[in-house]
Amino acid sequence: MPFMEFVNFYLMPGIVLGSIYALGAVGITLVFGILRFAHLAHGDLATLGAFAALGVVTIFGVSPWVALPAAMVFCAFMAIGIDKLFYDYLSERPKIIVVMSSLGIALMLRAIVQVVWGVDTETYTRGIVRPDDYWGIRIRDREIYTIIAMFVIVGVLWAFLQKTKWGKAMRAMSDNPDLALLSGVDNRKITMLTWGIVGMLCAASGFFLGINTELKPLMGWTMLLPMFAAAILGGVGRVEGAVIGGLIVGIAEETSVLFIPGEYKAAMAFAILLLILLVRPTGLLKGKVL
Amino acid sequence: MLKKIALAAGLFSATALASNAVQAEVKVGLLGGISGPIAAMAPPMLDSAQLAIQQVNEQGGILGGQTLEAVVGDSACNPQNGVDSATKLVNIEQVAGLIGPHCSGAVLAVANSVTVPAGITLITPSGTSPEITGLDDKGQVFRTVPSDDFQGRSLARTLLDLGTKKVAVAYLNNDYGSGLANAFKVEFEANGGELAGYSAHEEGKASYRSNLAELSRGGADTLVIFDYGDGTGLTILRQALENGFFTNFVGGDGMKSDAIIRELGADNLTTFIASSPVGEKSNSLEIFNEAYKAVGGNPDAIFVSNSYDAAFLMALALEKAGGDSSKVSAAMSAVSDGQGEAVLPGEWTKAVELIAAGKDIDYKGASGDLNFDNAGDVPGSYGLFKVEGDAFALQQALN
Repeated sequence: MPFMEFVNFYLMPGIVLGSIYALGAVGITLVFGILRFAHLAHGDLATLGAFAALGVVTIFGVSPWVALPAAMVFCAFMAIGIDKLFYDYLSERPKIIVVMSSLGIALMLRAIVQVVWGVDTETYTRGIVRPDDYWGIRIRDREIYTIIAMFVIVGVLWAFLQKTKWGKAMRAMSDNPDLALLSGVDNRKITMLTWGIVGMLCAASGFFLGINTELKPLMGWTMLLPMFAAAILGGVGRVEGAVIGGLIVGIAEETSVLFIPGEYKAAMAFAILLLILLVRPTGLLKGKVL
Repeated sequence: MLKKIALAAGLFSATALASNAVQAEVKVGLLGGISGPIAAMAPPMLDSAQLAIQQVNEQGGILGGQTLEAVVGDSACNPQNGVDSATKLVNIEQVAGLIGPHCSGAVLAVANSVTVPAGITLITPSGTSPEITGLDDKGQVFRTVPSDDFQGRSLARTLLDLGTKKVAVAYLNNDYGSGLANAFKVEFEANGGELAGYSAHEEGKASYRSNLAELSRGGADTLVIFDYGDGTGLTILRQALENGFFTNFVGGDGMKSDAIIRELGADNLTTFIASSPVGEKSNSLEIFNEAYKAVGGNPDAIFVSNSYDAAFLMALALEKAGGDSSKVSAAMSAVSDGQGEAVLPGEWTKAVELIAAGKDIDYKGASGDLNFDNAGDVPGSYGLFKVEGDAFALQQALN
């Protein structure tokens, strides 16, 4: 197989897909690291974000790229609201109860999407876009933006966590919530801040999935497994790990077709998840052991 | 505590009242893929089934004036949800018969683990997998849509006649996709065609470009897609078009979806054709079309006539069986076996009178004559559709 064909049809789609996984995985890793539970409603919150952007596009007739920040803000408030209504109420109970309740939240969010936007497949823009040719690399504008946006969003988040007072407080809470509380960190505020950030990341991952494919009520749910695989592969609680994990899972899924039949492509995320849990449960970058 | 007892007592008496009230009702299950990959196709199908039930009730009801009620369930087009919903319909709602589910995988699972063990008859309007023919079902599984064995084979022959000798096949990895693809493959290769690629894919992935690149490496310029146009099929077709992997595209009935035209644009679909069952022009079909239009439905939507027929046949079979669910399967064959006085869609009063008089009836369905064979299958005819304007138009009949 010619090298360019490999780059165009296996590597590039893998990187784009990996970027979408990465945005989701960063959110999952934050919830895992700071609030210490597996957030199963993550995919459906991403779906809601994608459809919220569609709502902005249809109502105001603006470009989807303008709708993205609006959808991110909307999802941030949704996530904070969900936490206030449900997770906060359960926060003193065993974590498994919170995990199960997040599954319920997932179903509720999906139902909201289906009630408001219906069950038909939708797109932000009609028609098809053929890729441009950059020195042999065939890539669409939206794919370039997807990759750039992922790095920008994650970069800003990383700087926020490293440099600002609030970011440091989030990391402190991730390391040890009791100690953080004693040092004067308001756990309640940090929890809300975390949910706000997670909501934004969800909206972004859903949006980029939607703009690169189609919007379907089940789109986020089917992304959940690869996103979890990416978060655990990178090391739970590690933002840069989630990005690396996302890219690896995305590229592995796309290139797997070269070695195994296409119908087993979906199993790649499973295989990676199993392997990493067996061989290196802390993930590539040293994360928490769950 | 006292409050709780009072509440429980209240609930108890409420249910007791409710069960008294429903005694004059005969329930049938109406199980469809309301959510999931065929969510866009399902509502018109359920509406047309409800039309049949409405007609029964308007014309005097079933089994001596009782109301026929359809209890709707969601199979989500997958085996797990199908079994869950069907179990609820059969065990809790105590339905006398089941119309649906819509998708082949759900039909197989529901028949094997719910309806056949419970002795309930099932009639699906759109479960097309060849596997359904071979079910060990004690004659309790029927369908008003022909098996994909016919569709796959006739599509293969027609493509060869049109001069397409080399194709690649991408099919959805479920009972519908693999059944259709297998029938196509056997006939295509037996008649001298060459399959340059043949591969299954899972639904719900964001990218299929690597799958398509693998398929295109065989050198075929025609891609045959057996998938749902509201689901993964749309993603595959879009990515194949955008990247120029293939020039010509052929779909099965699942791909004949308006979502494809709406999302990709008719201009981009000049090389796309899809096969689909066609209702033979008949008196019955016109009667149905008129009646369905009158209640605000679009008679051109896919599987609506099949769905109407399934519901009407279930009502006829229940009437003939006297409401005994164990006799429904025998009655189903009897009311549409090509012998007896013809009953057309909507002619419920006439049918009831004939049954009461002990005469044989033969239902002439909107989707065809629907004479069931021993496996509960019906023969059918297919057409090849192309995109014209913003809709699908018949290009030619399949042989």
